Amino acid sequence: MLRHAVQRLMMAVPVMFGVLLVGFLLMQVVPTDPAVVRAGPNASAEIIGQIRSDLGLDQPLPVQFGLYLWRLLQGDLGVSIINNVPVSQELGATIGPTLELMFASLIWSIPLGIAMGTIAAYLRGSWLDRLVMAFSVAGVSVPVFFLGLVLIWFVGFQWQLLPFTGRAGPLWTIEGLRAVALPAITLGGVFVGPIARMTRTAVLDVLGADHVRTARAKGLPEHLVVLRHALRNAMVPVVTLIGLQIGFLLGGAVVTEQVFSWPGVGRLAVGAITSSDFPMAQGTIIVLSMGFIVVNLIVDLLYGVLDPRVRTA
Amino acid sequence: MSATTAEITAPARPSTLRLLLRDVGAAISLVLVLLSILLAVFAPWLAPNDPYDTNLMAIMQPPGGEYWLGTDGQGRDMLSRMLFGLRVTLTMGALSLAIGGSIGVLMGFCAAYYRRLDAVLMRLVDIMLSFPAILFGLAIAAIFGPGVTAVVIALSVATIPLMARIARSTALVVLGLDYIEAARAQGMGDARLIWRHLAPNCLSPILVFATLRFGQVILLGSALSFLGLGAQAPIAELGAMASQGRTFLFFAPHISVIPCAAIFVVVLAFNVLGDSLRDALDPRLRV
Repeated sequence: MLRHAVQRLMMAVPVMFGVLLVGFLLMQVVPTDPAVVRAGPNASAEIIGQIRSDLGLDQPLPVQFGLYLWRLLQGDLGVSIINNVPVSQELGATIGPTLELMFASLIWSIPLGIAMGTIAAYLRGSWLDRLVMAFSVAGVSVPVFFLGLVLIWFVGFQWQLLPFTGRAGPLWTIEGLRAVALPAITLGGVFVGPIARMTRTAVLDVLGADHVRTARAKGLPEHLVVLRHALRNAMVPVVTLIGLQIGFLLGGAVVTEQVFSWPGVGRLAVGAITSSDFPMAQGTIIVLSMGFIVVNLIVDLLYGVLDPRVRTA
Repeated sequence: MSATTAEITAPARPSTLRLLLRDVGAAISLVLVLLSILLAVFAPWLAPNDPYDTNLMAIMQPPGGEYWLGTDGQGRDMLSRMLFGLRVTLTMGALSLAIGGSIGVLMGFCAAYYRRLDAVLMRLVDIMLSFPAILFGLAIAAIFGPGVTAVVIALSVATIPLMARIARSTALVVLGLDYIEAARAQGMGDARLIWRHLAPNCLSPILVFATLRFGQVILLGSALSFLGLGAQAPIAELGAMASQGRTFLFFAPHISVIPCAAIFVVVLAFNVLGDSLRDALDPRLRV
């Protein structure tokens, strides 16, 4: 177990280093001078020069990279070109809403997808199975923004049931829940299909296994056979596959945030890129990548805990 | 030589196309895929109007009437824009798949053929796989500036590791077969062996994957354009059109819905076709 964990960590380190290096080089190719940005619009050449040497921008590139890493460790990601706010401050304000949106999407889509996949596998070949499979193919084919716009049009605009712009507060308040509902239905909606499909395949595999036949042979009630013997064993591949979909979730979240003006990191990143706010773009991309690497690492380690075979592989 | 080939293919196996057409869903999706390609290729001849021609006397016209699919917020013909949009979107997808796919296949074949390169190449693939396409899209748009080029680069890069894995695992199986040994014994060079014997026999899994990937690439590409990181105004691209239509969502929903529906139908067709192709070409994979 420990070896597996160490191996995975060893692999994550160069990847993280690579992300930081690319992030650093990104700032070298863009046509902005961080010293000028930090100094503000009315600064004299003297002050800019002072800031330049403070930031180490007059040093050779490798030294600059070291200084950059050092500043990063202290949480200094630079200052936005557009509104002069520290990047870390903006990121701090947007990470919460993004995690909130992902949580609210997964909390209903994972159980629903697993339930649909299990039923489809159990009733293999029935019309219900075909319906679930058709739903899941449609789910992986629909653009996230299409689903979002349709929900806005019907639920938000025509029926006036739920708000569809921005965030109204934390999840535990009624207003906050109402505001997250449509974005979470949108993002979770494209997730149900793939989960149902993966669960179906995994449960089908297990339903044919010897221990399931034994469970049936000893007269166990059918629902216990499915829940206790089939589904539980199918959970390992399902959990892994859900973990592998995190990239898909992240992509969906970026689009969903844009559609519903949800104040998350994805929307911040897109806004920064389209307005050429390079320090902000760099900061958001680094944080999104790091978050993704860490979550991947956690999923991998969890997989090792769930399935002993991985540890030795 | 011909005798052995005859033996292998002997039991009258129905052709892939025939197998495919047996399934109604597959047949419909094949027709839709071909139709969308034809519409995209012949868009300049099929479009009733110039997709960039604005008519301020007829903005936000609903579908039906003079303009079959209505007009957008600037009075441009939606049908013509959709046809041209399909052209841009499909081209973007095809380019990404062609570039990323060929690099990926080459990497996969090299990893399988030159065992010494295997570890290095596959580690590289692992690293590339640890980033979702959306992050490539954001980073590349940040470096090169938003545009179609950025999208094509991002989607190509995101396709490379996936294709490399498929190509490698397929090639490893094929390379273990006797006829490869025979070709080697005849003194055939590496490049020729890979091109003449390895590649043709790895074709079906790669083709299946490419079909399924094409749907994903279109979905991702249009999402990047929707975000404003891909095709820029006034280019008619389905994702960008859907995004522009958002402003008019409450007065003229068709401006957003038509390009969205077009993406949905095309991606769905490619996904269903890919699934059916996999079933037809490799029955073992059927679940």
